Amino acid sequence: MRGIEVVASGLATTIQDIGRIKYQSAGFPSSGAIDHQAHCLANALVNNEENAATIEYCLMGPTLKFTMQTFIALTGGTVQPQLNSHIVPMNQAVPVHSGDVLKIGNLKHGRFGYLAVAGGGIQVPEVLGSKSTTLRIELGGFKGRTLEEGDLLPTCDVYTMPSLASRKVSVETNNTTQIRFVKGPQWNLFSEQAQHKFMVQTYHISNQADRMGYRLRGKAIEVSQSNMLSEGTVLGNVQITRDGSPIVLLADRQTTGGYPVIATVIAADLGKLIQFSNQMAFNFVLTDIETAVKELKQQIKKIQDLRKLWQQKRYMEPIGPARKAALKIGKLF
Amino acid sequence: MQKYSYSIITVGEQTVNVVFPNQINIKENLYIQHLNQLILARNDPGILASIPGYHTLTISFDIRIYDYNKIFKLIKNILEKKSFQIQSFHKRILEIPVCYDETLGPDIQDVAAFGKLSVKELIKIHTQVEYFVYMIGFLPGFAYMGTVPSQIAMPRLDRPRTKIPAGSVGIAGAQTGMYPVESPGGWRLIGQTPLKLYDAKHPKIRYQSGDFIRFKAITINEFKAIQDRDSSGEYQIKISEVGE
Repeated sequence: MRGIEVVASGLATTIQDIGRIKYQSAGFPSSGAIDHQAHCLANALVNNEENAATIEYCLMGPTLKFTMQTFIALTGGTVQPQLNSHIVPMNQAVPVHSGDVLKIGNLKHGRFGYLAVAGGGIQVPEVLGSKSTTLRIELGGFKGRTLEEGDLLPTCDVYTMPSLASRKVSVETNNTTQIRFVKGPQWNLFSEQAQHKFMVQTYHISNQADRMGYRLRGKAIEVSQSNMLSEGTVLGNVQITRDGSPIVLLADRQTTGGYPVIATVIAADLGKLIQFSNQMAFNFVLTDIETAVKELKQQIKKIQDLRKLWQQKRYMEPIGPARKAALKIGKLF
Repeated sequence: MQKYSYSIITVGEQTVNVVFPNQINIKENLYIQHLNQLILARNDPGILASIPGYHTLTISFDIRIYDYNKIFKLIKNILEKKSFQIQSFHKRILEIPVCYDETLGPDIQDVAAFGKLSVKELIKIHTQVEYFVYMIGFLPGFAYMGTVPSQIAMPRLDRPRTKIPAGSVGIAGAQTGMYPVESPGGWRLIGQTPLKLYDAKHPKIRYQSGDFIRFKAITINEFKAIQDRDSSGEYQIKISEVGE
């Protein structure tokens, strides 16, 4: 079988798409790429639809050997990837050939990174409408587990990429320390003092941070100890647990929860929060739904515009055989 | 039929909660299930997910297709239609076999003592009730069911167990439920079902919120026999439907 061979697994490396959204009412976590935006960008770069399965890794990327020809793109947390010991850029479509070895290495910034592969991504079977992995219940992805040395991931051969030369983006490094939120469904259960505290204090991401959620470090927030009836959860919900610490609910979150939700991080800022290091100090800033919608639509449009641009350029800058040959010749030295 | 008051609140830029009176009430929850069914029946690509809670329905939508006004209107139109009602109260009851042997339900003596009952009496009470599935959450197929008769409604453990075997049946106050996969948990365990409630290879959950579940006591020998038949796909859950 042709595809991608896992030489070294990296950390918590899984197959993800945009998630198993429709089965939450039966208790299935939606899962999917934890940094949705980075996943979508990676797919756009290699001309995949947004739901194509990518490889997600955490803090340490895998080393992979290609046994077919295709194009790849790396997005998300900053890495210095090497293709056959030559550094290749992130956020750009890069051709790979049979026998090439890609060493992604450690993340210098951020927590999660993505590798998209042209030709529709990693070809694992769909389970309940998604290729995403949910580790806790051993569902989906590659045999329901993290990737291991020796795994062979099926992919499709791709020989050409429309407007390859222009398939790159500069991803601005975001230095903001402000995370915007809208009021959560239980906002009014909190005292004004507690609401105020939530907004003025500085938070850090604690060591209890994984795909299910990030517990935050900060001064405790006063929370009513009365029991709340469980209800459906949403990506970005900020629950306040009994001890007054917030948990931001992420991709692998439980579908229902019984802790009061003080806030929901706006989708446009979620990628930033997800990539913060433990040292990063940040604040929550209240915004309104209109702004949240506008910001998310802008993010979606950015990628749509790139896709359009690359489609339009298709016949202006074809990749010629000369370039392919040059790459092969380059590899001889 | 009774109409329930509701409000629609925003949860995030892509989600609303339809919130009904804050209570655990079968009729109200059936009302929510009915709303959910009508929304699902639309097969609307703009609706991404809907999750019933005890007194809420959490609806996520695609902002490329829907905005708030549109989603508000959609929900309002369904709820305020004259024809919106639970048409001829229809009940689906699933029979789940449970072995109440102490080796499988380590807390059964404690729960019996709590109710000042013999184990036999406890089993009789637990199997007499048709439990309503208000919602599914926590894990795939973890059904939040009620209402446990107050006599045996023992509160959950002070200190949750770190590991509970899949299939365990427990009580937490007025709620009863089954653990579909091995997990930590604090419910009082009184038995175990031989059925594989969650299977990663065939991840279909055999019941849904709005169903009723009745437990049937089985012996340890029957437990093993059903387990074998279920794992080879030969066991059919007994389902009865009652219409009015």
